[in-house]
Amino acid sequence: MSIRGSTAIIGIGETPVDRLGRRPGERRRTIPEYLTWAARLAMEDAGLTRKDFDGQGLAAIYTTNYLQPFWPEETASILGITPALSMANANGGAATVSALGQAAAAIQAGLVERVLCVAASCTFVENHNGAEPRDVRDFEVPYGLMGANSGIALVMRRHMHEYGTTLDALGNIAVTARYHASLNPNAYLKKPMTLEDYKTSRLVADPVRLLDCVMPANGGKAFILTSAERAADMPRKPVYLMGFGEQDNPSYGPRTHSDATIMGIRDAGARAFAMAGVTADDMDFAQLYDDYVVIEMMQMEDLGFCEKGDTKYFESTDFSFKGTLPIQTGGGMINCGQPSTCGGMIHILESVTQLRGDGDDRQVAGARTGLCTGLGGLPYGKNLGSTAVAILSNDNG
Amino acid sequence: MAEARTEPRRPLPEITELTAPFWQAAKEGRLVMQRCRACGELTWCPRPSCVECGGEDLEWDQLSGRGTVYTFTVIRQLAGRGARAFEKDIPYVIAWVDLEEGPRFYTNIVGCPVDDVEIGMKVEVVFDPVSDDISLPKFKPRS
Ligand SMILES: [Zn+2]
Repeated sequence: MSIRGSTAIIGIGETPVDRLGRRPGERRRTIPEYLTWAARLAMEDAGLTRKDFDGQGLAAIYTTNYLQPFWPEETASILGITPALSMANANGGAATVSALGQAAAAIQAGLVERVLCVAASCTFVENHNGAEPRDVRDFEVPYGLMGANSGIALVMRRHMHEYGTTLDALGNIAVTARYHASLNPNAYLKKPMTLEDYKTSRLVADPVRLLDCVMPANGGKAFILTSAERAADMPRKPVYLMGFGEQDNPSYGPRTHSDATIMGIRDAGARAFAMAGVTADDMDFAQLYDDYVVIEMMQMEDLGFCEKGDTKYFESTDFSFKGTLPIQTGGGMINCGQPSTCGGMIHILESVTQLRGDGDDRQVAGARTGLCTGLGGLPYGKNLGSTAVAILSNDNG
Repeated sequence: MAEARTEPRRPLPEITELTAPFWQAAKEGRLVMQRCRACGELTWCPRPSCVECGGEDLEWDQLSGRGTVYTFTVIRQLAGRGARAFEKDIPYVIAWVDLEEGPRFYTNIVGCPVDDVEIGMKVEVVFDPVSDDISLPKFKPRS
């Protein structure tokens, strides 16, 4: 029994992002404030109140900035709701897309009628709590690991080595996303950027450049999912979940030295496409998890938008909202900021915005079906360790 | 509120019952990993069971210490508060070395200018004693 088309997103909420708290004593908000704010916005959007979430589902997304094992209960307590089902989603930047699929299964199984998925993070102020995987703590950190930059740099250089990946190819992706950000009132980085700006930006962990990297931020995001039947009576146009796939701890080759240029998204995507009964060619847009530019490129390859290492495709394709494959139509996380593991939800929310036809200056004309992805973690010797794909449509036929 | 600017301490691994044989061998100048007696595959990082077949009968096996650079990065800028201890080493090289016996090893390439490092470079292990108990296996170009 597939979950294809049986649930729909009926409300979304997104607080503005900020970078407050970088300076000592600077006034800033807390994670509970962002959680409350984002949940309220999503409920208002759906025409619901907190009372509608008593006896329903709550998907609480763990943030690296506030780790405690009872987080779903604390989230419910902060929001003043009494869930009948708590989901604790902890697979990093993949967690919100992962939660979407799991929530749909719970609704279809009849456990609950609706699920609120909410995430918030304050990257600059809360402690990281030393919450690193043991492999990373014992066998990477002592060698001078520089956050995610150094891990992605290893993957990026191997990709460039194997496929002759060019800065023009990567730059086309980066410049398009910034262009979209300039059309999105909620984006953070809106100043126009040229290909030359990208190619000459400072090397931070060679070959990773400053303009390859996502920017940490504070903020909160939420969505509400319900059954397709119930969604028909809700105020906003339903956006149906048509396909879902997840692949965690992927390995392509022996587990101790897998091919680092292939991502688990290849299998997660294949499952999502098969469930939805569509192919990459049917996508009106792709909102790709974007911690780094090269990771967007690798996902497009592994999802089947082009052959592996087709540099010409990346150099010459129009990825704008008017182009052949619109990507990152709101500017993506790189231009809107990443509130830790909450950041990945931006791709669900932008997909809903496009499929409702609310994209204003960046609306993909006639958008009917698109995909969004989530990625999380950087396990030892590999690229991203958790991957999830959701295919969304405004038509569940 | 000004924070006292002390010299940050280098983060060291925590020696556990599982990882102790690895660190003991490194202290003695040997690179070892767990080999599965059932399927013969190596497992890395240390695990209670073989990651390929699930076998729980593992023995620590000495490796050649030779490998090839699979990929690398040159660290040019600090990222994250925890990494401040390495600021004075910049620029330095982090690499994944694929060992002759198979497993990929996260390490530094030392003993040559950072600009000389390239993918495919043949390297061999050297041990950097960073504390009384810990010698970090690092790699230098093979002569
Ligand atoms: Zn085995």
